[in-house]
Amino acid sequence: MIRPTKLFPLLALAGLTVIFAACSQMGTMESLPASHPEELGTGRVSCSECHEDTQKGSMKPLTAFNHSSEFVKNHRFYAATDDKVCATCHKPSFCADCHTHKVEMKPSVKFGNRPDREMPHRGDFMTLHKIEGKLDPASCYRCHGRANNQRCVVCHTR
Amino acid sequence: MKKTACHLLSAAFFLSLPAAAFAADGSLNSTSILRVYQDDRAGFASKDLAPVTEFLALDAEKLGDGNLSAHLYGWGRLDLADDSFNNGKTDASLTYGYLMYRFKNANAQARAGRFMVTDGIVNEHVDGVSASTDLPYGFRVSAFGGAPVHTQHLANENTDGKGNGIFGGRLGYRFGGMLEVGVSGVYESGAPSLDRPGNIALERGARLGDHRLVGGDIWFSPVRAVELIGHTSYNTETSGIAEHTYLLNLKPAKKLLVAAEFSEHHERNYFYSSALFASMVGDLSEKSRTTGLSGSYELGQGTEVSADYKHYSRDIGSADRFGANVRFTHMDNTMRSGIGYHYLNADSGFAINPATDDSASFHEVRCYTMRDTKTFFGALDAIGYFFKEKINNEKSAWETIGSVGYHITPALALSGDLSYGQNPQYNDDLKGLVRLTYNMNYSGKGDAK
Repeated sequence: MIRPTKLFPLLALAGLTVIFAACSQMGTMESLPASHPEELGTGRVSCSECHEDTQKGSMKPLTAFNHSSEFVKNHRFYAATDDKVCATCHKPSFCADCHTHKVEMKPSVKFGNRPDREMPHRGDFMTLHKIEGKLDPASCYRCHGRANNQRCVVCHTR
Repeated sequence: MKKTACHLLSAAFFLSLPAAAFAADGSLNSTSILRVYQDDRAGFASKDLAPVTEFLALDAEKLGDGNLSAHLYGWGRLDLADDSFNNGKTDASLTYGYLMYRFKNANAQARAGRFMVTDGIVNEHVDGVSASTDLPYGFRVSAFGGAPVHTQHLANENTDGKGNGIFGGRLGYRFGGMLEVGVSGVYESGAPSLDRPGNIALERGARLGDHRLVGGDIWFSPVRAVELIGHTSYNTETSGIAEHTYLLNLKPAKKLLVAAEFSEHHERNYFYSSALFASMVGDLSEKSRTTGLSGSYELGQGTEVSADYKHYSRDIGSADRFGANVRFTHMDNTMRSGIGYHYLNADSGFAINPATDDSASFHEVRCYTMRDTKTFFGALDAIGYFFKEKINNEKSAWETIGSVGYHITPALALSGDLSYGQNPQYNDDLKGLVRLTYNMNYSGKGDAK
């Protein structure tokens, strides 16, 4: 029976070998670019107009990121695992237009000159939220559950 | 001590701002908005409001050895007339402010300061540090730690309900262009004790407690035309599933996308760390389920049609929403328009006052058009909600917004909005807004908004 203390140096050596091997490989692994190399047009982008390949660095086909209405509506699924892909074209402030710490005004008010952007809570949402909140409170929680809820706590107390 | 150290990280960010002035690359985005409107509702004192708000975003790239960058976004407000939101004459917020170092290989990066974390099931706002990198053989790892960014105190409490420390991360595996799986988790230190009897009752009833979740996520695309994406989270405090949410995308043709959606939330487990939401669960239900089907099709150059259907199922009833949208883009994308209609058919349990046997059903109609040229820009936007049964003796809630603006320079623009509407809250809801925007990009980053 070999004592664990005698095994430790061997395990440490094996661990270090794995780490060095990984580091040497990582030196050859490509990164996504910090920004899109070419200026993009205004409006929604269809990546597959120019790209047909699987994006190196994300290992996903860029067709997955075409900005259809469906993509915009469900972009949270992509942002949860591919925020570095988003960051090649979008500045962090693009996300903060809606996803913020303390909301000062509805995004649709701040961007009243951009009705084409799918900003949430258009119109009289003060009335509507009393219905929508019962329909799908989880969708409220994603943005207002543990952050960005200083307006909510004024009325919602127990 | 830990909390102080984390907030010092955010402070350190500001000390680095002078260096950002020497950045070779970056962008500055400023939006100054003056709003003028009246808040006049039954049961409340009338207010004349004229808040002026400055939103500022700064991205300074290629600092130091060229791989360091600084990012800042925040806002400040000054009330020129009556106080807004009972916060006094001024208010401000820092959404994020962090330094980021991008390594040359393996998508490795490190951040320090205040930032958002979206990683697998993790969705947090943190003062602290984070690091992520790809690993050989398709693996990738990310981790973060620090203090949660605290927000407004709960009513009559001296806390927002969040603990003082938080850490988490994700381990993922990708198989070239076909599969990604990941496991992720978040662990927050013990939530502070609350004082209000209602909140104490929630804690004692095991409906409110610490924020600790683990989960898994998947992206699976066996062929280009099929894509499954989603995640499941598990609350280790309540020992129960908190959320399943999955999306199946089918692309049978280049311009056609069909999506099926499934979401299920076990609300005690999902809302467990939020006094705000946990207090509402008892009045609603323990489980909610949403299933949906939607699709979009590009009819031709500049025209997209989309339709969607969603079914909501809860203990208090069920509801169906269906509708369609059409989007148009013309004149080299300088003119964009859209029109949409949706109908929500909802049981009385979803009505604002279910006891009165009201209906929660309503029609939603929206249309907009905008034009953006090198010199001027303008937009018209109208949205109306038409209730099946009156709410506060009103049959509808509608709003129209008109906006006109002028590009003083390519980076500087002045615009004004005027909106008018009627709804159950206000008889005549008239609001004015003046907006000055300055968007200067020094780097040619892909999207200039």
